[in-house]
Amino acid sequence: MVLMAVDREAAYLGLGPGIKLADARARVPDLKAFDHEVLADAALLEQLADACLRYTPMVSVSPPRTLLLDISGCTHFFASENALVEDAEDRFDQAGHSLSWALAGTPDAALALAHHGLREGAEAQLPVSALAMDDKTHRALERAGLYHIGDLAERPRAALVARFGSLLAVRLDRIMGIEDRPIDPIRKLANVTTERRFAEPLTHIDFAISCLEELFIEAVRQLEKRGQGARMIRMILFRCDGNIARLTIETAPATRDPALFKRLLKERIDALNDPLNPGFGYDLIRLSIVATDSLEMEQYRLEGGQDKQGDQAALVSQLSVRLGRTQVQHFMPADSHIPEQGLLALPALDSGPSKAWDKPKAGEPPLRPLHMFDPPQHIKVLAEVPDGPPYRFTWRRKVHRVSRYEGPERIASEWWQRRDGQQAGKGGLTRDYYRVEDMRGRRYWLFRHGLYGSEKANPDWYIHGLFA
Amino acid sequence: MFYKLEQTMNIIDSNILEKFSAHKSQMLDNITVPNFTFGAASLDIALSKETPNHGLPLAQLHEIHTAEPEDSSSAAALALLLAARVRMAAETTDQPITWVRDHGEARRQGRLYPPGLVELGINPDHILYIDATDSIAVLRAAADAVRCAPIGAVIVELAGKNPKGLDLTATRRLALSAKKSGVTTFMLRSKAAPMPSAAFSRWQVAAAPSKALAANAVGHPVFDLTLLRHRGGLDGLNARLEWNRETRSFQEAADISAVPAVSGIRTDHEKIRARA
Repeated sequence: MVLMAVDREAAYLGLGPGIKLADARARVPDLKAFDHEVLADAALLEQLADACLRYTPMVSVSPPRTLLLDISGCTHFFASENALVEDAEDRFDQAGHSLSWALAGTPDAALALAHHGLREGAEAQLPVSALAMDDKTHRALERAGLYHIGDLAERPRAALVARFGSLLAVRLDRIMGIEDRPIDPIRKLANVTTERRFAEPLTHIDFAISCLEELFIEAVRQLEKRGQGARMIRMILFRCDGNIARLTIETAPATRDPALFKRLLKERIDALNDPLNPGFGYDLIRLSIVATDSLEMEQYRLEGGQDKQGDQAALVSQLSVRLGRTQVQHFMPADSHIPEQGLLALPALDSGPSKAWDKPKAGEPPLRPLHMFDPPQHIKVLAEVPDGPPYRFTWRRKVHRVSRYEGPERIASEWWQRRDGQQAGKGGLTRDYYRVEDMRGRRYWLFRHGLYGSEKANPDWYIHGLFA
Repeated sequence: MFYKLEQTMNIIDSNILEKFSAHKSQMLDNITVPNFTFGAASLDIALSKETPNHGLPLAQLHEIHTAEPEDSSSAAALALLLAARVRMAAETTDQPITWVRDHGEARRQGRLYPPGLVELGINPDHILYIDATDSIAVLRAAADAVRCAPIGAVIVELAGKNPKGLDLTATRRLALSAKKSGVTTFMLRSKAAPMPSAAFSRWQVAAAPSKALAANAVGHPVFDLTLLRHRGGLDGLNARLEWNRETRSFQEAADISAVPAVSGIRTDHEKIRARA
């Protein structure tokens, strides 16, 4: 067992990462050791990354301990870039984390400088291990007498590439700040972002809500110029102690209507599992429009009257926000002869084009049940073997005698889905469906699971659905 | 020559007058009949109580009960078919039917199966299905749906003896919203304890044996309806109806051989069930 991280006191006593636990205990007998929880560390890092969203939307996470922030163009609230970094340092300090930071023109340079505790301009003093290549290369470089990045930078590039490979040149360029690469932000960038900072943090939720409404109106003004409406709105409320509260609202019609936004926001806040807790107050509130759709000027009907489509879509949005997007559903025809595939239901917010449903045969009674059990329920059936219709069945401890029946309708499994091709018996069993009516007049959809003898020695019977 | 012209003009005039009077009487028939019918003439007339408004009124709350939970599919089918008739009567066939259901109920009694809807003659594209977590969420979602005017009809399903949140006030709120927005609402109840309600009519449904087709095959769906309560004072109406998918209407079920002969419509004067 090896030490992964030590606190300040242990560092003073000479312990550091990489030392075996047994050795460490030998040196410091009353050492407190805790298990390394990788997942908890990763979660904490993500939380800190979220807190850093207040400075810039481009925040990237580099496990196990690194955050990359792209602050180009984000320093207008601070006197200088250094002032921004100092503010961040203060916040991390308050939260109890110690920080080692570096500012640079490219992400790799900043990473390398931060790891080795140097500042911008001191790239030349970085050791060659900052190139993050394999150990063999590092040792080879040291044996060649190249200990620092500065030494490498002076040498002619062609020779280095010939000896160590082109990857070395790429890494070197990145660290020296000659080549830039984009970072991968943790949150998708929004179309329009509006935010408001408060010198005095807001302690009351109602003020925060009215602030959000004003921010929406501002954001919508921008969308109006582009002829677009908002479909997904993301709001982040930053608390002064680093916690953030995230709210997302999705609407079915693209909208620029503040009244609809107000209603949906109220629904969202009511539907939260944990109520919003301002703590010591929110000092930054940000609203971003993440997804938009084209929305022309409001069309009014010539005869006057409400826009009917809009009302229906507003109802769908409201209920989706309150209950969850997958709880408000539209049905879609499924492209399969397997009955249970017909239960396909998609969220009503994703209004896709619907295909045509199969038309029923004229003159025939309903061939498919109105209600379907998912999964089918097991029943005991008295029927002639090998393929006679059910004569009597027991379901939920009640015996039903069959007075009318129609069938069998044979529905085979999708043989092309079987793992071993067309081997009989592998994959799904064939089902023989019967539409039965009992003496009482209720109509059921039963099936025998498996052909008697060839597929199964003693096939089971199930009830799959109920007719009207 | 002028005489000929006069004659022709008389003929034209009389033709126009004929057509106009025919049209006028037709218009008079259609004026203010905000009702929807079952399609079975005797039941509709019995419901109208000697007025020209046949059937049940639109923009009201109607309750559909089942005595036993096994009949809940029949009740659901009846609600659905009545909702389709509502949309036909109000000419709102492009507006969706909103179906609000409890999640637990869907698991117990089976999920709504779209091909089954097609087989009954309903287009599943017209259904907006809302899966709520408990009875209070169901009632809230239903209240919102009923308030939204461009909805064809709303079907609310609540099972259990005393679902939480369902009381006279809740039904009154639903009924008032329905009247204001013009959205007809059907409430499905199964195994309900007797309870006062602000619904316009209360029906009890059970599945009935169907008329056998060739080779003793299962026939078209047949429902056994009993009117438990009616704001107009009717009750005790009994009917056995079969759904005809082609004409999209109910018709009286012919006598079924397996059951002793029962006349199509009966008006009972004895109280069948203690009224709430």
